[in-house]
Amino acid sequence: MTDNLFQIQLLMESGGMVLWLILIASVLMWTLIIERYVYMFFRHPKEKREVINHWNQRHDRRSWYAQQIRQGMIAENRIRLERYLMLIKTLTMALPMLGLLGTVNGMIQTFDVMTVFGTGNTRGMAGGISIALITTMGGLLTALSGLYFSTQLQQQVTRTVDNVADALRRD
Amino acid sequence: MIRSIALFLSLFSPVLLAQTPSNLDELLEQVKKDRVVEQQQNELRLQNFIAERDQQAQLLEQAKAELAAQERRGEQLNGEFEANEELLAEQESLLQERSGSLGELFGTVRQIANDSRGALETSVTSLQYPERNAFLQALSERRQQPTIDELQQLWLTLQQEMTESGKVETFTTPVITATGEVEDRAVTRVGVFTFFADGKYLRYLPETQDLVELARQPVPRLQDLATQFEQAEPNTWQPTVVDPTRGAIMALLVQTPNLKERIQQGGWIGYIIIALGVIGLLIALLRFVILFVTERGVRRQQKRADKPSAKNPLGRILSVYDQEQDDDVETLSLKLDEAILRETPALERGLTTLAILAAVAPMLGLLGTVSGMIETFQAITLFGTGDPKLMSGGISQALVTTELGLAVAIPILLIHSALSSKSNRLIQILDEESAAIVARNAEQHNNRD
Repeated sequence: MTDNLFQIQLLMESGGMVLWLILIASVLMWTLIIERYVYMFFRHPKEKREVINHWNQRHDRRSWYAQQIRQGMIAENRIRLERYLMLIKTLTMALPMLGLLGTVNGMIQTFDVMTVFGTGNTRGMAGGISIALITTMGGLLTALSGLYFSTQLQQQVTRTVDNVADALRRD
Repeated sequence: MIRSIALFLSLFSPVLLAQTPSNLDELLEQVKKDRVVEQQQNELRLQNFIAERDQQAQLLEQAKAELAAQERRGEQLNGEFEANEELLAEQESLLQERSGSLGELFGTVRQIANDSRGALETSVTSLQYPERNAFLQALSERRQQPTIDELQQLWLTLQQEMTESGKVETFTTPVITATGEVEDRAVTRVGVFTFFADGKYLRYLPETQDLVELARQPVPRLQDLATQFEQAEPNTWQPTVVDPTRGAIMALLVQTPNLKERIQQGGWIGYIIIALGVIGLLIALLRFVILFVTERGVRRQQKRADKPSAKNPLGRILSVYDQEQDDDVETLSLKLDEAILRETPALERGLTTLAILAAVAPMLGLLGTVSGMIETFQAITLFGTGDPKLMSGGISQALVTTELGLAVAIPILLIHSALSSKSNRLIQILDEESAAIVARNAEQHNNRD
């Protein structure tokens, strides 16, 4: 166990500061994705039922007022469902950019070594290149893993909002 | 000498003795007399010549005898020389045979002394045992055979270094601090690999035999390890850091530029990107405060829908209904839309600027990349590709501006997304819920009537 932790620590150190940023960003992204799914499958159905009950209890479901109130209900639902979606999407966009940032950072270190030692010190150059490659890999990997879920969540939200709208019948 | 004077006298005496004759008879007498004298003199000269010839012949004989004697001696000496030569070769081969391994030993000793001088001078143990370097130098420059004592001392020195390189020791020695002062510090050395004092890693300069505190220390985790190692009780186990390159990796640390030097490498494009980033952050901060206050007002207004306040956008929209209660539904709807349209621009203000900044920063980074590459290729035009150090100045500008562009764009992108989702939410509330709230209020109003 401690050996594994040490390996992770080594990986993080060889990836430099940018890898930490990627780690933080991807952890944040995954927390938000999981939170969204939990909300959508466990909390939202209850809210939906409440809204439908509330609507069905109304006598008037036809007038302009009623239409406005229905729109408002749907909008409230959509706002709650769409929460964090934009942030998740932005994070999937920002992660490859962070990877690129790490790549550039690693290349800078490589060229620093070249400035001082010329091309002779391959060992020193390899440190920078490992940062460049590890961060690119980390950025792409986390972004790709998040990309599917962010699109899927978006579709799910649209569908759920449509469902809510369908459930609120206008006589 | 005497003989030649006699000859001279005999030749010239008739002339000197001759008296001027007074008549012809006397002259005849005189001539006759002179002839006798001359005959006598010729006789004498002939005898002299013969005697001298005999003498010369004798001398020649003598010289010939001597030459023969010398030739005999020369032959004898030649023989002797050859014999000696043979003996010498014999003796030399004997010497070589007998001292064969010893000669090799001498070469080996000199070589080892030279090699270990190089190794030991760069080793930090030289601080504790400075005298051995002089000994090794003297040994490596010796032209004579080393003595047994010296051989033993060489062996002891090598053995000592081996033993010391396996030890962890603390000793007090002058250290040049990062500020350039010389202080006596308790230095802990781990073998000959790593040395630290007060949790700071040191570097050994063999040229001046000084310990220098590294101007840039490794990551904090490694510094903590050094501190813990120094404070550990003796004879306990403690993790530590070993630099197997004997300080070469630690020396690399000093070369890496810090943040300020990095930014300077970016040049003026780098400064523009940073300025844009600061402007973006200021706008973001301002918008965040405004949106936060607005959102709080709107939420409060949602809860107390019957009392519209003019301090928040939702309240201002709701107040439209209060003013126009008597109008018909269509007019109310139009008025509501108008009120909503009035409120939305204030919520979206600044977001476009942020989006543009997030897009422009990487492009400026690209600009810096290109200008850095131009610099690099100019250097190549002037100096060729032979010196990578000349090329890397432009390359680091290229990379640093790219990095700065990304480093500015990513946070602004995230902030923009957070702010725009906040403002979208608010606009949705105003757009769709305000009508609903108005409708609810109207229904309650009508029910009460």
